[in-house]
Amino acid sequence: MFFLFPLLMGALMLIPGWIYFIVLLYFCWITVPNIFYGFRSQNDLMFTAMMPVSKKDMVKARISVIVILELLHIVIAMLYGLITTRLYTNIDYYFFKPSPGFWGLCFVMLAIFNLTLIPMYYKTAYKFGSALIVSITSAMLFAVAAQWLGIQNTKMSEIFNVTVGDHMALHSSILIAGIAIFIAFTWIAYRMAFKRFLKVEIQ
Amino acid sequence: MLALDIRNLNKKYPNFELRDVSFQLEKGYIMGFIGANGAGKTTTIKSMLNLIQADSGEVRILGKKMAEHETELKQEIGFAFGGIDFYTRSKIKTLTDVIKKFYKNWNDDTYSTYLRRFKLDENKKIAELSAGMKVKYNLAIALSHGAKVLILDEPTSGLDPVARDDLLDIFQSLVLDGEVSILFSTHITSDLEKCADFITFVDNGKIVNSSDKEHFRETYRLLNGKESDLHQVKDKLISYKVNSFGFTGLIHAGDFDPALDIRATIPSLEEIMIFFAKKEETYV
Repeated sequence: MFFLFPLLMGALMLIPGWIYFIVLLYFCWITVPNIFYGFRSQNDLMFTAMMPVSKKDMVKARISVIVILELLHIVIAMLYGLITTRLYTNIDYYFFKPSPGFWGLCFVMLAIFNLTLIPMYYKTAYKFGSALIVSITSAMLFAVAAQWLGIQNTKMSEIFNVTVGDHMALHSSILIAGIAIFIAFTWIAYRMAFKRFLKVEIQ
Repeated sequence: MLALDIRNLNKKYPNFELRDVSFQLEKGYIMGFIGANGAGKTTTIKSMLNLIQADSGEVRILGKKMAEHETELKQEIGFAFGGIDFYTRSKIKTLTDVIKKFYKNWNDDTYSTYLRRFKLDENKKIAELSAGMKVKYNLAIALSHGAKVLILDEPTSGLDPVARDDLLDIFQSLVLDGEVSILFSTHITSDLEKCADFITFVDNGKIVNSSDKEHFRETYRLLNGKESDLHQVKDKLISYKVNSFGFTGLIHAGDFDPALDIRATIPSLEEIMIFFAKKEETYV
């Protein structure tokens, strides 16, 4: 089900001129709480702790699930974005248009989400309420700030929404920087989570 | 060879403390781990398995340090924790398919043999199993991955007498060839009278005694006497009860002078447990 979700949510990219940050935020709003709730209600922590797996692998496995789903969401949304830009050629974008630079910003948004969610969650590896509120708020604040700048700053609006083709180098570098930040933040989140998990008492 | 070697395990909580817990279990035997509710049985077991971090102490399982060989040792340990359920809406078959991938020595034939022996239906959901069946399912899993040490936390609690007796028979048959060792915690002392070779008794976070069953009981004497005789032994008693017929008290065999005119018998495990619990009450 969670693997089908990117296909469904990605289709929201077909709404013309929408706030496309929301497409990825659905992952944070719906998928993550459901996964974590599943872990808790099924006693997954105790179950995994009984298996012959190291604590490092236990943390790695859960983070991998999140990262794989994030990548699926973003890559599928990108593909839908390509369709959108070809489908609606005469739209004046008020919010960000799907562009490499925009996807770079999305990677940064998810990076912030991971960096707040994962270490906070691993204080207990069980309670996720406050970790979820803080991480969703941080990711949304970033999205709102970026989008606000994209509307207020005429030059930024031009580069992101009108003259994408003329600024391909800039767009590519934003995308690469976004991916680099995503990798770096997620790695830091994993290291912090592992350190905290070693102190967790599995009850 | 020692299947379990626990030395000086300490763990401090704000309102409970595990103090210098040490005991050893020889390979091929059954050890009952008894104590009242809240005495520290589960905390000890969880510390042994690295589920909670002990403040100090050393745990060796099959001669290897748990702290250093946790993943490797978990291949050789089977668990059953009473009252904890995993993925209860999944079918046995589904859960087993996930579990077996983690074990190097998984044997499908052994698994089907135990399923038949325990009359477990693979298509049933975990939630549909009775408490006894859940323990049997855990045992089937443990034995199919070749577990040499079974650590069972209250496996018989909540079972009816028939299911308990059945399970105890299974425990005994498992240790017959001397390969498997079992540590099981319980507060039902009659289980231990039936099948344990060794007893480890934990009370208020401390090990009171750990020895073979007969020796364990012979360490103590249960005294029955007239209330007027109580003053002769009162100071040496672990604890005592007074009623209209006189007093009943527990004493260390070494502290009892057989010359006294007080009837002394060897206590049952239950009596030992009760009088130790009473001692705690006296101090509160």
